[in-house]
Amino acid sequence: MAPLDFSVLLRFQDALLTGLLTTLELTLICIVLGCAIGFFVGLARTSDNRILRGVSGFYVEFFRGTPVLIQLFWIFFCLPLLLGTELSNFTSAVIALTLYMGAITSETFRASLRSIGREQYDACVALGLPRWTQTTSVVLPQAVLRAIPTLLSNCISLFKESALVSAVGMTDLMFIGSNISNNTARPVEVLTAVALIYFVIAFPLTRAVTFIEQRILTKLAV
Amino acid sequence: MIDRATAPLVSVSGLQKAYGALQVLQGIDLTMKPGERLVVIGPSGGGKSTLLRVMMGLENINGGSITFAGKPYIHAGATPAKTAIDVQVRRSIGMVFQHYTLFPHLNVLQNLILAPCKVRGEKKSAATERANTLLIRFGLGQKATAFPSQLSGGQKQRVAIARALMLDPKLMLFDEVTSALDPELVGEVEQVILQLARQNMPMMIVTHDMWFAKNIASRVLFCAGGFIVEDGPPEQVLGAPKEERTKDFIDRVFHIRQ
Repeated sequence: MAPLDFSVLLRFQDALLTGLLTTLELTLICIVLGCAIGFFVGLARTSDNRILRGVSGFYVEFFRGTPVLIQLFWIFFCLPLLLGTELSNFTSAVIALTLYMGAITSETFRASLRSIGREQYDACVALGLPRWTQTTSVVLPQAVLRAIPTLLSNCISLFKESALVSAVGMTDLMFIGSNISNNTARPVEVLTAVALIYFVIAFPLTRAVTFIEQRILTKLAV
Repeated sequence: MIDRATAPLVSVSGLQKAYGALQVLQGIDLTMKPGERLVVIGPSGGGKSTLLRVMMGLENINGGSITFAGKPYIHAGATPAKTAIDVQVRRSIGMVFQHYTLFPHLNVLQNLILAPCKVRGEKKSAATERANTLLIRFGLGQKATAFPSQLSGGQKQRVAIARALMLDPKLMLFDEVTSALDPELVGEVEQVILQLARQNMPMMIVTHDMWFAKNIASRVLFCAGGFIVEDGPPEQVLGAPKEERTKDFIDRVFHIRQ
């Protein structure tokens, strides 16, 4: 094996940075949209309405039960055929990862909604709170608080899963990294560096999850 | 003309409640006059807590009806799900539960003013003023901005009582409010309830604490197997029970306490 030469990274640092920004941009957009979808789908899954429960349940199970890579490929190659229009790489990636994120976070929201004890609802009745106040002032704030640690974990997963978009030619960090690696024949240096970049961003977040989780559990421990 | 002093505050007739096949209340008849303090004692599973939950309008019923201050309040329907509960009447009843039911994401003051502001449309400033007065009265003046997780069990229960009182209830229900507390914290909560008793607040109390029962009750009900087995003044029911089942229960409870 040739001796390691990490100077290759310096030559391509701008390209790697562009790739990282694409990855972050894509992840952030899909987090915001995915959480919004996930919240409403989580509500729908706990609803009394059978149709809402059925449709939302099918959506979640379908996206949880198929590989993300297939979902990406389907939206890249099949959806434009069905719609009869071209979709940009970025749009397709946003659609695919948002739908995936929505399915994952809806389970998080559903679990946090269910974790609110019957006593809280009893207290609402005993205080004569109208249904709307019960939902907006008592149930939702607690559900969102309880969901935060798992949501953060969901976000970290999405950040890592987003590397899959390189498979359909989107110029994210992974795509640029593997291109540089192929062109320079320096896979050890380049791929190690790319892995480290993902790790440096994800690791503090996973630490933060543990910290925030303890804080929230202490606060809500009643 | 009905004499207001003696007209019943609560009138329960033929009340039946079942959880599936389990018949928990088997036809309860009960009248309560204004200013009375009913203590309900009895073995676990005897229906005491269920009676209070039904009174609060938290449960559907299988039969019977309840009137409150002369107004129809709860009436059994063709099926339990069709139980008719008058929500307006329900708002004149307050309840404190065994497990602290404070809202953990709100501080003490926010817990107290949520219902007055949202249910009665009271101004925030007015509600806050009333809340602070109540908190000071209950020795919680320093705790207005504390979150429930920062309070002891006894403090949480006092806040829960204050929260219920913010709505000016005409009847207070206490469901084993000291059962989950460490022994040294029981006194402070019972003192607050005794303070309300001195102000003639009508109340129904489920408790296992016989000392407390004796000190606060104007009337004691012994409830077992879904029936009211014995009903009378505390000296009689606790001191010289007529019914064999009551006697057995009292003997056992006092034996454990010695």
